[in-house]
Amino acid sequence: MSKRIWQHPEVPAGETTVSWRSAGQLEDSPAFREWLDREFPQGAAEMADESDAETSRRSFLKLMGASTALAGFGMAACRRPETYIVPYTKAPEWVIPGKATYYASSMPRANGATPLVITTFEGRPTKLAPNNLHPDAEGTDAFAQASVLDLYSPSRSRQILKSGKSAKREELDAVIAAIAADKAAKIGFLFGADDSPTRNRLTKEISAKFPAAKFYQYEALTGEYYSVLGDGVKLVADFAKADRILALDCDFAGTDPQGPVTPFFARRKPEGKVYDQKPDASKMNRLYAVEAAFSLTGGMADHRLRVAASEVAAITSAIAKELGLFGISGAPQLTDPKQVEWVKATAADLKSHSGKSMVIVGSRQPAVLHTLAQKINQTLDNIGEGKPLLAVQRENQGLGSIATLKADIDAGNIDTLFLLTPSNPVYDAPADLDFAATLAKVKTSIQLGDRTHATAHAATWHIPAAHYLESWSDARSARGTYTVVQPMILPLYPNCVSELELLLALLAENGKILDGEGENAAPSPAYDAVRKTFAALGGEGEAAWKKLLRDGFLAGSQYPQATPRAYEAFLHTHPAAPTKDSLEVIFATDASVYDGRWIDNAWLQEAPDPISKLTWDNAALIAPKTAKELGIYDEIIATENPRALGSPDGEGENRKSPMIQVTVNGRTLEIPVLVSFGQAENTIIIPLGYGQAFDKDDALGRKPANQSHVGLVGINRGFNAYPLRNSRSAYFATGATVKLTDKRYPVALVQEHNSMYGRALAREVSTIDAHDEKGGFEKQLANVVKQGNDSHAPPNISLYKPKGSARWNPGPDGKAQPLINDPLHQWAMSIDLSACMGCNSCLVACQAENNIPVVGKEQVAKGREMHWIRMDRYFAAQKDNTFDADNPALVPQPVACVHCESAPCETVCPVNATVHTEDGLNAMAYNRCIGTRYCANNCPYKARRFNFFDYNKRNPLIKHNLYRGPLGERRDGDSEHLQRNPNVTVRMRGVMEKCTYCVQRLKDSVIRQKRGQKQEALVAGKPSTEMEVTEKTLRIPVDSVKVACQEACPADAIVFGNLHDGDQSSMGRSKMIERNYDLLHYIGTRPRTSYLARVKNPNPDMPDAKFIGKATIHMV
Amino acid sequence: MANIFPRWSNFLPIKIAVCAGSAAAGVALAFAYYATPKALTVGYQPSQPIPFSHKIHVDQLGLDCRYCHSFVDVSGHSNVPTGNTCWNCHQHIQRESPKLEPLHRSMNPAFPGYDGKPIEWVRIHKSPDFVYFNHAAHVNRGVSCQSCHGNVHQMEVVWQDQNHSMGWCLECHRAPENHLRPLEEVYNFGYDAETYLSNNPQLGVKTTKDLGLKLKEQFQVNPKESCATCHH
Repeated sequence: MSKRIWQHPEVPAGETTVSWRSAGQLEDSPAFREWLDREFPQGAAEMADESDAETSRRSFLKLMGASTALAGFGMAACRRPETYIVPYTKAPEWVIPGKATYYASSMPRANGATPLVITTFEGRPTKLAPNNLHPDAEGTDAFAQASVLDLYSPSRSRQILKSGKSAKREELDAVIAAIAADKAAKIGFLFGADDSPTRNRLTKEISAKFPAAKFYQYEALTGEYYSVLGDGVKLVADFAKADRILALDCDFAGTDPQGPVTPFFARRKPEGKVYDQKPDASKMNRLYAVEAAFSLTGGMADHRLRVAASEVAAITSAIAKELGLFGISGAPQLTDPKQVEWVKATAADLKSHSGKSMVIVGSRQPAVLHTLAQKINQTLDNIGEGKPLLAVQRENQGLGSIATLKADIDAGNIDTLFLLTPSNPVYDAPADLDFAATLAKVKTSIQLGDRTHATAHAATWHIPAAHYLESWSDARSARGTYTVVQPMILPLYPNCVSELELLLALLAENGKILDGEGENAAPSPAYDAVRKTFAALGGEGEAAWKKLLRDGFLAGSQYPQATPRAYEAFLHTHPAAPTKDSLEVIFATDASVYDGRWIDNAWLQEAPDPISKLTWDNAALIAPKTAKELGIYDEIIATENPRALGSPDGEGENRKSPMIQVTVNGRTLEIPVLVSFGQAENTIIIPLGYGQAFDKDDALGRKPANQSHVGLVGINRGFNAYPLRNSRSAYFATGATVKLTDKRYPVALVQEHNSMYGRALAREVSTIDAHDEKGGFEKQLANVVKQGNDSHAPPNISLYKPKGSARWNPGPDGKAQPLINDPLHQWAMSIDLSACMGCNSCLVACQAENNIPVVGKEQVAKGREMHWIRMDRYFAAQKDNTFDADNPALVPQPVACVHCESAPCETVCPVNATVHTEDGLNAMAYNRCIGTRYCANNCPYKARRFNFFDYNKRNPLIKHNLYRGPLGERRDGDSEHLQRNPNVTVRMRGVMEKCTYCVQRLKDSVIRQKRGQKQEALVAGKPSTEMEVTEKTLRIPVDSVKVACQEACPADAIVFGNLHDGDQSSMGRSKMIERNYDLLHYIGTRPRTSYLARVKNPNPDMPDAKFIGKATIHMV
Repeated sequence: MANIFPRWSNFLPIKIAVCAGSAAAGVALAFAYYATPKALTVGYQPSQPIPFSHKIHVDQLGLDCRYCHSFVDVSGHSNVPTGNTCWNCHQHIQRESPKLEPLHRSMNPAFPGYDGKPIEWVRIHKSPDFVYFNHAAHVNRGVSCQSCHGNVHQMEVVWQDQNHSMGWCLECHRAPENHLRPLEEVYNFGYDAETYLSNNPQLGVKTTKDLGLKLKEQFQVNPKESCATCHH
């Protein structure tokens, strides 16, 4: 047998696409080459660097000698340790030891509660999943998935603080009782922007009891929007009904939700949501995005126009004029002919889809844009029942803003202030409000929160808040469906109080806070309060209440319709377009910490930013061309650029980004800078929420400050941009200048980690015929499987010899015996790149389900992150793109172990620790693994992760702790360990791991099916010896098991199932369509996870139409 | 030049090799005898806080396994009875027995030393953390309690009867017919395959071996041997 002979064309025929993951790759740096060639970077596999010299070879030998000697003494104690089984005294109803119990609940949020189903093991919540029965179900985003970790966070607030020092409960009780007794008290309440019916009801009662009480609403990056179209009026999008969507600086798929987003993604699949139709481009929606820097939404867009945030007003105005409306007064005329053309074609497309289109504006854009967009939508007949947009009336009305709060405090109208908002106003309020000084004027301020942040310390009192998984409450979802919040567990720490309990204390006769367990084990008073609210909505009685608790929501309880405020010519000053001497700074919502509230959440911190791929920090982002104009580009990519440095340093642990000094609004911030592709020129993006506290270990040696505000996760993280921001420039500020400093800051970027070789890794097609060699939609679909090396791969020749040879392995029936032979289940997955936006939800869900450890910034920088799902993000541009050459396409591609049927990792394992199972899984036996890492070396997908340290036993966030070996600080009994999934092994040092297809869920469902089948037979009354058992009865029902990533995905981009179900299952059908292709098919690994090519649906009348849908990724 | 090494050192390498070899063989043998699960776990019989006798409860009184281990056919974990399961009967029966003091302490508020804390039973059968054994998957498919736990119904104090090593698991996974029973007989400690066959001639099965094979066919029992079956 001869070797397969390859005849590669030099460049894949007809390809004009350049694709890259990082600036380093674009410049082809040696550093990137190294990431590509090695399974782990140089240094990742070494034990220590100079700063960690504690474990030199010498001291290692010393320790080993000592421990061997001690082991001799220890032999006497070599007896079986006695362990105990501790059953309940009184068995709680529904709890079966070893089995998960599921409850319906929800996570209250400003844009509408996220309906959830919560997995608990013996009363311990461990994992969140979306409640798909709920009318506003939309998967879960990374924040919702990570919120369970906050419950167990070691840095969670546990103590009552008085002026920042721990205080006694009795003292607080006396204060609350005194307030409750004083009916003339001038109380103010600052709520978050979530909408809770019970809280709204209590607010009214409080108003009645305390006539001088005033109510406000504040969240740093949301909330104000709800007063623009009328008090508490908002537009909710129904993406299922929208054929054409224009998102004006609106990241509706990411941090700025406008309504349940799942239907949007269903319409990105030309074969329909469950792949049961013929591909039909006309059923797809079309998304136009106008934005400054890539957002998740912009990455999905069919046409994307990059403009500065301040210029969105001019674009909106131009669209309005195209549609025959008046624009915003004083809006500058568009001068760029390309923009004019773009706007014309967009407006025409929107107009031709009147009643089926929508124009949505980012909630942080100025008010005038919202009213104008509303007017555009009315003109296009897009608002109303059965239309893509619906104006609804939220319940929480009549709430003041933080500015009115300040005015009231200054006027002396407030003596006591309750700060109940999840935001942190002392830290995140606009700088000109000087909220810290304002707060100091209030006689008594009482802050309720789960972190001891700046506001908690600035307030007179801080009360630790109960987590939403510990409290009774209720909330409204995006369209207003009444949704319950149930406690899964009593508050972990005494003194934790929920918002409702605090409000109820003020209403109680004696003013006493009854929390958690209540007096004499009575349920929390919040329970009665929620029941009372519900009784008025869903009826009295046990039956209705039980149904609510079971379903999690009350059907048919949406918000009433509202009439949004008509267009008003709000005063709007149009700043001049930014130039390189007067840049625009955009204060972005961060994908990891949101407004700063998640700073102590390790999962979110370690999840790479979807666009910049930065972990654990924030950095200023700047377009490459602007960087060149400012003369800082070379500096930024110096470590990546082969011409500047010949060393392998660059990406990786030694990568240090240069820092720039940004001056705006009279204030200055020093922050590291990264190149960001596809960003508008002359803008700087700075994500908010970082830089809350520092200690002596800070990389820049910043002065230790606020150390008690955060835990180990949140300390020394990034740079605080809030001080640059004031009320009038809350979203963007103009007139900024930038200066390069000589400082550098280490950044943990993962964009080049585990880079793969290969052509046509991610494939993209377009629904239109651009009159080039790619042809029309049908031809492009047919060519999906023939892209890259698959276009000319010689056929695979089996290594196994035919019958009669020594390798012949006959089965019982005399035929060749397949190795993967389970007749019941053959698991497989497909990932639809047309729906995937790269939001990290799957990555965090996987971390929660599979006990994946966090490794810390230093380890991430070395390339040792443990995430089983790697969210690759590629940029691709057309060499001949004449419309906007600097606006590449963005293609996310999640890659985990693809479970190759002939897996290269299995053949190289010297101890058979990774082997195939009968049902098609590439299994990992951790207890057998000896850590040679040959498997990772041989994995073409780079999907394997190695435990270089025992991250579960020793906290990687303590400096040098991992390198101290047995002397390091242990973390036994850490509260985070309560979150562990009991059905998944916690891996130790020296063990390889990777995606298992959630084998614990598969085994559980298969065993449940066997049991159910037995019950069925016995009910029939036959003896078991006559029981009928067939393959069919032992096979689990079609699509009845979901893996964690699939379950969490808001876009339904991941489908999983049993190949034996054929076209009965979504997964089976998805494998039969033309878009289906295997990653690196030509190397013959026969992966079980396949991908569906991305489809772009460009508008043929657009000037850039022929450059869309060509982002097939070649990485050689 | 004088000889550096004396004459007797000629045989030293061989002597050393022989000694080292026999020492290694000794260690291996000793390990096999003393340190494998067969030697270490079988017969482990700790004393329990309450000297609960399975012999009395199962053999003499005829309690079913599932009265106390109530979720064995539902859950992967076979539960040990909660305090109130014991108290159901023992608040009436043998109430004053001094042996039941720990139960009173846990369940009886009128008892002087009452603390309401659960009884800590000493664990006898323990599979390592990296092994997922599922009781429900076995008892619902015709594997009896007796196959793994021995004649518990005759034990005054429970001991570990089988070694529960991986080799032992695989023995049955490779030949389940040796242990399969009709589902009705799974919890019957008095089960005897011969008697069952003579009582059920309609099955048309002659030997106990054939009964096992018939049940394997009937129930479609195909135990897996791949790692992920138990390790994940």
